[in-house]
Amino acid sequence: MSAAVPQTDPASHAELVTLSIDGVEVRVPKGTLLVEAAKTIHTDIPVYCYHEKLGPAGLCRICLVEIDGMPKLQIACNTVVADGMKVHTRNPRVDDGRRAILEFFLLNHPLDCPICDKGGECDLQDYAMAWGSGSSRMIDPKTSKPKAVDLGPTIVLDEERCIVCQRCVRFDQIITREESLRTEDRAVQTIIATATGKPYVSDFTGNVTELCPVGALTSKTYRFRSRPWDNHRTTTSCTQCSVGCRMHVDERGNTVLRTMSVPEDDALSDSWLCDRGRYNVGFVNDERRLTMPLLKQDGAWVQIDWADALDLWAEKIKAALAAGGPERIGAIGGGRLLNEEALLAAHLHRALGVENLDHRIGTQTLVHHGSFANHVDLENANTIITLGRPPSQLAPVLDLRIRKAVSRNGARLISAGDYAADSFVPETHVTTPAGLKDAIGANPGRVAMIWDGVFFEGGPELTAAMHDLPAATRVDRYVLPETPNGRGAEALGMIPRGAGLGTGAMFAAARDGKLDVLSILGANPVLRYPDRALAEDGLRATPFVVVTDLFLTETAEFANLVLPVCSAFEKSGTTTDLAGDVLPVVGSVRPPDGVLADGDLLVELAERLGVTLPMPDELEAKVRELVKTPPADGAVPAYVRATAAAPGGALRVIADAAIFTGGGTLAFDTAIRELHARPHARINPATARALALADGDPVNVAGDNGTTLYDLVVRVDERVAEGAVALLDGVVRAPLNALGRAPAVRLEKVPVTA
Amino acid sequence: MRKNLFNVGALVRGMSTTFSYMFKKKPTVEYPSVKKQHAPRFHGLHELRRYADGKERCIGCELCAIACPANAITVIGAENSPEDRRSPGERFAARYEIDELRCIFCGLCEEACPTDAIVLTPRFEMADYRRGAFVYAKDRLLVPPEAGVGTPPDERPNGIPADLGGVFRAKDTVDIAEGYDATHRGHILKTQRRGLTLRQAKGDDGRPGEIE
Repeated sequence: MSAAVPQTDPASHAELVTLSIDGVEVRVPKGTLLVEAAKTIHTDIPVYCYHEKLGPAGLCRICLVEIDGMPKLQIACNTVVADGMKVHTRNPRVDDGRRAILEFFLLNHPLDCPICDKGGECDLQDYAMAWGSGSSRMIDPKTSKPKAVDLGPTIVLDEERCIVCQRCVRFDQIITREESLRTEDRAVQTIIATATGKPYVSDFTGNVTELCPVGALTSKTYRFRSRPWDNHRTTTSCTQCSVGCRMHVDERGNTVLRTMSVPEDDALSDSWLCDRGRYNVGFVNDERRLTMPLLKQDGAWVQIDWADALDLWAEKIKAALAAGGPERIGAIGGGRLLNEEALLAAHLHRALGVENLDHRIGTQTLVHHGSFANHVDLENANTIITLGRPPSQLAPVLDLRIRKAVSRNGARLISAGDYAADSFVPETHVTTPAGLKDAIGANPGRVAMIWDGVFFEGGPELTAAMHDLPAATRVDRYVLPETPNGRGAEALGMIPRGAGLGTGAMFAAARDGKLDVLSILGANPVLRYPDRALAEDGLRATPFVVVTDLFLTETAEFANLVLPVCSAFEKSGTTTDLAGDVLPVVGSVRPPDGVLADGDLLVELAERLGVTLPMPDELEAKVRELVKTPPADGAVPAYVRATAAAPGGALRVIADAAIFTGGGTLAFDTAIRELHARPHARINPATARALALADGDPVNVAGDNGTTLYDLVVRVDERVAEGAVALLDGVVRAPLNALGRAPAVRLEKVPVTA
Repeated sequence: MRKNLFNVGALVRGMSTTFSYMFKKKPTVEYPSVKKQHAPRFHGLHELRRYADGKERCIGCELCAIACPANAITVIGAENSPEDRRSPGERFAARYEIDELRCIFCGLCEEACPTDAIVLTPRFEMADYRRGAFVYAKDRLLVPPEAGVGTPPDERPNGIPADLGGVFRAKDTVDIAEGYDATHRGHILKTQRRGLTLRQAKGDDGRPGEIE
């Protein structure tokens, strides 16, 4: 942070102080901590409790340095630089001090390094090698504590290894603001525990295993599976959501073992990862992965050869073109593909005259918009307005920026409409236009508006206040795509233009027998399209449906031909994040034998159809050009979410989002089955009283189309409007879209059987 | 002529060396019907040892694998389950494989092992017609349960050795002076493994003390 300040700038020049560290003169801005000042001359001072993103705590005292004029050794992490300071980071006195501190740490440390997951990448090991005395003077038995404490669904705590640096506790307080961890007891008996006594549940738990300087906090998915020196590391971009965090992928024997955050990634992830990005890797090696093209013959799946499968696909497209023209062909998907693949898909179909292209399978309307505001802009905003489903569930790591902006930069958070932002920071929840106008106030400063991209009834009126902002107000707009690469797919052409049909119109046309071939590229509309019955009818009525996916998903069950494809860990290219930046994706493992990437399939298909695709060397420039081009204004078929009150005592439905939902990579990852979201029904306390329901009760949800979702759990939440129920979207067991497009539902209490 | 006669003497001298050996004991033995005694610290085929209670000594730490200069060892660890405890402590080796064709029998794995689990035996007859047969997995490396030696470290109720240092001081659990009858080849080992005592410090009572 300090090194970034240009020393030639006269304005900042006045703020610089000069000190000497190990005889080297250093000039850093006033207020810099000694430990950061030392980094500018590449002198690393050992730290446990201090972390760049968490700030100083002064707990571990390993960072002792000698400062001339001070009688005792000082801690570098909590000492602010002063002019003329003379600091010594390595001399016999300092080394002696650190040796004494390490001796304290090792008094009760079990030294079970051979079986410790951190062994090999452990700060305690490293510093003990550098400064430790090598033998112990301890003659009493070591303090014994529980070794494998189950902190929650993801984390195991080894209390003996813990050195109580409290990085995890401070992460939970400062970064996520959830305040679920704390220290308990005193002195040598100090342990880390949850504040409530309940399991440690958060969407960011995995970060504490990385923050832990010793092996006290370990991930259940990685425990004892490998040692650091076995792993081969690749750096890629996460493709689980549209944030696209930089991350390291650690692979051993062609198995993805873990993903780790990239500490230097200040621009996107701020060095954090959410649990979906961290733990949802087991699907790559799941035995249910498809490895051969499957053709449905007389209702049964038959494995066929790749060449036959591609020939068949090409033949069907040719036949449809000959029989009815390009309007009888459609393609859905692209939001889960790489940029290059989405571009090839759009290019291939447009070359044939096909305009029925859409990447949107959910309720989203438009995600490629003119704004290229990034995460750092959000952090610096003064007023943050969220509209629609909360960012914490659509782009979790983006939500940490909101929490940072509010808690540390003093920004105000306003959530408008049906959904509260639910970001563990103070927020103003408004539902009326006047309320929003009041909340924004006369002097909003820099405004950031985060929208989930779904139009809803009353939306334009609600957001009218946005038009009354002073002309000079800077408004950064963010739209959170439902699919990881939604913005890229839209920019690269997977969106209907002219007379082209969108996803819903395609299903309707298919149901009416107006579609011959439908290609679904890495998408699961049967689970995600708002009207499941329409999607199913459309797929059933289409003579030839091709689905490319890793698994036999709900949608693939309706296909005539299923083509197995690579996961994002098995192919390289680029993806587009929600801010409109093109990010690199680097493959880390080999795909299973016989599996091709979507891009390869499209190239093969283009060859069979006689279409010339852009060459690989042209692709990159073309992708960048298209992604960076703001879209031309044009009418895009919009899906409008109904918010009108439901008739006669029924409840209207609000669609909730959660990060651990979905039927593809998540449903086929059994290692994290415990994390899969349990479908809930959130209702207002008044509604709960009227229906005699309490928090935690099981209920069935009966829709007005005759469908019932069984065994949901009631969550009483005053932020849900009266007369509404918020149901979780995208859960395989209780799919919300089965209720229909704008359902009115009744809650039925499940009778408790003795 | 005189010169030639002189050479006959050299011939006789040379042949006398040859003939002198005809009456000495032959060093060659009729292998395989007769087998020779190995050097005390001969490095042969590996074996994975157990404790006397049948638990595996190996904790799957992979220190042997990282110490191996030939990259011959593959270990994949896993977590012990309370129902089926395989080793003391939390971790055990779910897979342990040594490629004996890559192995240079240097014994560094044995040196690196914190629990004395992997040892090199004097057994050297491994010939086979298939390359794959030289990859020894746990099924061939691990000694039978009844061949375990030494008491395992004490365990606390939660399954973790009470004295964790004990896990890694396991060397004193083998009474080396008497050798050990740990394996089906115990009688060989008794005579062969004495070499270990070279590393042994004597205790006050004349019995072997802890290995430093």
